[in-house]
Amino acid sequence: MRAAIDTGGTFSDCVYLDQGELRVLKLFSTPSDPAQAVLTALRQIAPDIRIDLRHGTTLGTNALLERRGARVAFVTTQGFEDIIAIGRQTRSALYDWLASVPECLVPRELRFGVPERVSAEGEILRSPADAELNALLDEVRASKAEAVAVSLLFSFANPATERRVAEALAPLGIPVSLSSLILPEFREYERASTTVVNACLAPRMQNYLLRLEERVAAEHQGGRVDVMQSSGGIVSARLAAQEPVRTVLSGPAGGVMGAMRVARAAGFDRIIGLDMGGTSTDVFLSDAAQGGVRRTREALVAGIPVSVPMLQIHTAGAGGGSIARFDRGGMLRVGPESAGADPGPICFGRGILPTVTDANLLLGRLDPSSFLGGTVSVDGDRAEAGLVEHKGPLATAEAFASGIIRVVETEMDRAIRVISVEQGYDPRDFTLVAFGGGGPLHACSLARALRIPTVLVPMMPGALSALGILLADVVRDHARTVMLTGDAVHDLADDFAVLEKETRREFAEEGLEGTPACSLDLRYRGQGYELNVPWSADDPARSLAAFHELHQQRYGFSDPGKSIQIVSLRLRMTAPADPWEPQRRDSRPGDGRSARCGERNIFFDGQFLPSLVYRRDQLLAGDVLDGPAMVTEYTSATILPPGCRAVVDPFLNLIIDVRASS
Amino acid sequence: MTPSVPDPVELAIFRSAVHSIAEEMGAALRRTALSPNIKERRDYSCALFDREARVIAMGDHMPVHLGSMPMSVEAAVRALPLGRGDIAVLNDPYAGGTHLPDITMVLPVFLSGGTRPAFYVSNRAHHADVGGCFAGSMGPAREIFQEGLRIPPVRIVRGGVVDRETMDLLLLNVRTPEEREGDLGAQIGACRVGERRMLELAGKYGEPRVQDFIAGLLDYSERLVRAELSRMSAGTFVAEDALDDDGVSDAPCRICVRLRIDPAAGALDADFTGSSPQVPGSINAVRAITLSACFYVLRCLLERDAPATAGILRPLTLVTPPGSIVDARSPAAVAGGNVETSQRIVDTLMRALAQAAPDRVPAASAGTMSNLTIGGVDPRTGEAFTYYETTAGGMGARPALDGLSGVHTHMTNSLNTPVEALEYAYPLRVRRYGYRSGSGGSGRFRGGDGLVREIELLAPAQVTILADRRRFPPWGLAGGGEGAVGRAVVTEAATGTSFELPGKCSRYLEAGDILRMETPGGGGWGQ
Repeated sequence: MRAAIDTGGTFSDCVYLDQGELRVLKLFSTPSDPAQAVLTALRQIAPDIRIDLRHGTTLGTNALLERRGARVAFVTTQGFEDIIAIGRQTRSALYDWLASVPECLVPRELRFGVPERVSAEGEILRSPADAELNALLDEVRASKAEAVAVSLLFSFANPATERRVAEALAPLGIPVSLSSLILPEFREYERASTTVVNACLAPRMQNYLLRLEERVAAEHQGGRVDVMQSSGGIVSARLAAQEPVRTVLSGPAGGVMGAMRVARAAGFDRIIGLDMGGTSTDVFLSDAAQGGVRRTREALVAGIPVSVPMLQIHTAGAGGGSIARFDRGGMLRVGPESAGADPGPICFGRGILPTVTDANLLLGRLDPSSFLGGTVSVDGDRAEAGLVEHKGPLATAEAFASGIIRVVETEMDRAIRVISVEQGYDPRDFTLVAFGGGGPLHACSLARALRIPTVLVPMMPGALSALGILLADVVRDHARTVMLTGDAVHDLADDFAVLEKETRREFAEEGLEGTPACSLDLRYRGQGYELNVPWSADDPARSLAAFHELHQQRYGFSDPGKSIQIVSLRLRMTAPADPWEPQRRDSRPGDGRSARCGERNIFFDGQFLPSLVYRRDQLLAGDVLDGPAMVTEYTSATILPPGCRAVVDPFLNLIIDVRASS
Repeated sequence: MTPSVPDPVELAIFRSAVHSIAEEMGAALRRTALSPNIKERRDYSCALFDREARVIAMGDHMPVHLGSMPMSVEAAVRALPLGRGDIAVLNDPYAGGTHLPDITMVLPVFLSGGTRPAFYVSNRAHHADVGGCFAGSMGPAREIFQEGLRIPPVRIVRGGVVDRETMDLLLLNVRTPEEREGDLGAQIGACRVGERRMLELAGKYGEPRVQDFIAGLLDYSERLVRAELSRMSAGTFVAEDALDDDGVSDAPCRICVRLRIDPAAGALDADFTGSSPQVPGSINAVRAITLSACFYVLRCLLERDAPATAGILRPLTLVTPPGSIVDARSPAAVAGGNVETSQRIVDTLMRALAQAAPDRVPAASAGTMSNLTIGGVDPRTGEAFTYYETTAGGMGARPALDGLSGVHTHMTNSLNTPVEALEYAYPLRVRRYGYRSGSGGSGRFRGGDGLVREIELLAPAQVTILADRRRFPPWGLAGGGEGAVGRAVVTEAATGTSFELPGKCSRYLEAGDILRMETPGGGGWGQ
């Protein structure tokens, strides 16, 4: 049996297939020993059968955010020890004289230089003597480092010296990360930074994942552990332990894959995902025809460049806990400051500054009795008093609250534009898939603002990430930097064959068989950034034509007469997950009458309107609900403004037409 | 009809929209440009303007362009009958530019059926060479005619088609024409990206509402500045600072400012009377640069994400003596005005402001961009190359915080060229790149350290330095110590001997020679 567990800050969500039927288990996380909740969940599913676990974890992300990673020794070419701290010599806040910056992950005393040099052409100009490497070994040992990151200049062009350094440091018995393995690409700072992040996470992640796999194997008949990568593909725990930098966005990547699977099963191939949490909102765009969510290699995690492939997830600093205020120019601002869990929104009893959640409550958009199943007590009077106190020049608390909602929705609107309009996509061609605690609250009005016609609120929005992990493909990416001219596009079959062979071997070790997909990173000669286009042996010239088209679409010009440079070959091997069809219910016409649990006044466009309230878990396939209405569930609530019509589809998703008139 | 005042919510939405357009133009420019100075170092700015050429949004790019880009747009509009599909290009400091390597493009945005532009989009990029005496066009010239090709506002695109005659004229006058053509093409593309998005925005709101938003946004910026000024103490604050020399004689070049703060009116006067007359060397600044420095300092008083619009300058009255180093007249040489004098103007303004708001102003930062240009022929390809780089220094210590080390401050925020990009593109080898320990000023809070960067030439080349703070170190505040002065040393391969280079000079060096740049540290704060 296969099960997926996504360990979050509060809950660990577990999803598994029981005779084709999807089952969900929700447990409290155990932050001091995350494995505890995982093993408890597995025992609850089935104590002594073989279970293969697929895992999403925030262990890496949190270690970075809280700067609690390992003590890392940074080894680089002598004379360049400080590059890891200098970065790109820029300041992040252009107009703030008093800004502070986070400490470099590697303090001065842990930076070490090796007397060596490789040229841009990959020629070894100076090689370290054995005695020099022995001296390095002594210094690193004396530094009490817990892990090592080795990133020498031009090691992507010739990795021989990095390998010698790794051999020399092997006696230390601590994890050694090599930049030529983690990220064999140019730009020394970004490569070094990615390697340091890997080293920083390695001891803890190795310890955690390998021990977890031992315990799962012992308790569950030799079951194995696989891990979700930030790129949306699954890797073995063994590989994830070696390259933990690839899993820093494990959980959010699961959400992306889950949203894609659910939407696809429901018949939607082009989606924009909206995952709104307490302090931030993640958005992404997926077009199945173009291989799903685009991947980026320019991400910042906790302010640190991490240049391995990640799903392009854009984060806006606005969530339910974001604080609203008027600035000195009289403009209403929401976020990025957040009330967090403590003191939290005013309505939770301790906060004193108005938040998005307080605004939603005042406007009737939250149902206090069903909020988190009624486990959190919510004080509406307190929220109202707080909103009145801070309403500034606005006439009423309602006007203030609805202003807060509109401003926060603008932040999300802007975030969605970054991933859609700015990339040349028209939101009107997409469906908005809303999940997370706040996504469904704001989805309909956001969709209208962006002229997105349809909103999909998936079934079990609280376990979407675990579902995505359960159903994700096993993926391994390999790349080779080649720097060839465009004509060489016809002569790449042999190079791709080598990459394919290597990847097939890796897959075979895991008992897998995969399908390769080849692509090229291309640019006009002399440019510094590439565009990725597919390559096929049948019609290699098609890659060049696709590049010109994409360049025109993105950047406003293209020139088929200009010479093209082939920077890298990329091969992605994919072993598809088991096919899964969500259970299809019989649909019959209905109006959700049996799910009605009350009526409340909800504020829409300047006035309160009486609105019906439905319980999500009582809705049946075929039910049709018209706004104004609200659908509540354990972790969330969906708001249906007037003129919106929701249909419960055979998979129990809510499919909302935001343009229907009532 | 009086414009209706947009509500705070609508305004916030509009503000986000225009800012993201400027950022998107920048991304398009960097991703398509050819020269390392644009694609790696991001030495460019993108901005949007209303129909009256007032700036309404600017990407977070190069602060030195803040106040000066509007003048480019004004100059282009004044000089040319810009029609649909046209793009103007210019670099002349005496007609809307700042120094010759900065080439600006201006595209008028016409709404369908419109007969005059509803907006303008513009971008400016620093080109690694625009001809003249010195490879890289940043040398110790004595008049602007030596500094490179001057481009008055002319059309480089007419009715959507690149004007080959104009393009060919430009390309014939520069050392690296293929790279220039690619970079100019990237600038044209970025303009079109901005145009497309502005048209979408106007389509969404309709022009009358957009004009209301623009008016509201400018008023908002103005209110922010006035609110800050009204919290300061009233008074007149006088300060002075100096550049070491102009590279021709040893005479220091003075910058003087008299800052009058009127909290009741929320107004600020900056009077630069007393600053040195314009000089024979290339460190003269045109008035646009002085305005940029004022814009930058005002902008720093506001919240981090306040919009950079023309409204910020409304509370300011600026007086610059014509024919002075802060308001130079043709044919003064100006290459260093944009990069060196601009920093000193900021230093002087901050020194005055520190008297009015001692808890908000840091000590002096490095105060020089330590500009380095190297040009010659790449033996690997036989083609000409020109390399341009600025090296960061130490940031001045802040009240209650140390200064940052090795970081660009004030008027620039360009990135470094990665060593691995540099050596791939040029016949150069970087030998060392690290902090210059102990160069930050002492004090209760320490000034940031400068940097050391050593470059070995792999081919004979012309090497030009334009740097300052060799004589007058970055000052401390509240009793803090001075930062170390900068220096540059050449070690000759042939003789093994080393000698120091002056701050502003150009030399021919041989293959194997090593140039070592040491940049200044920041001043300290407190005893």
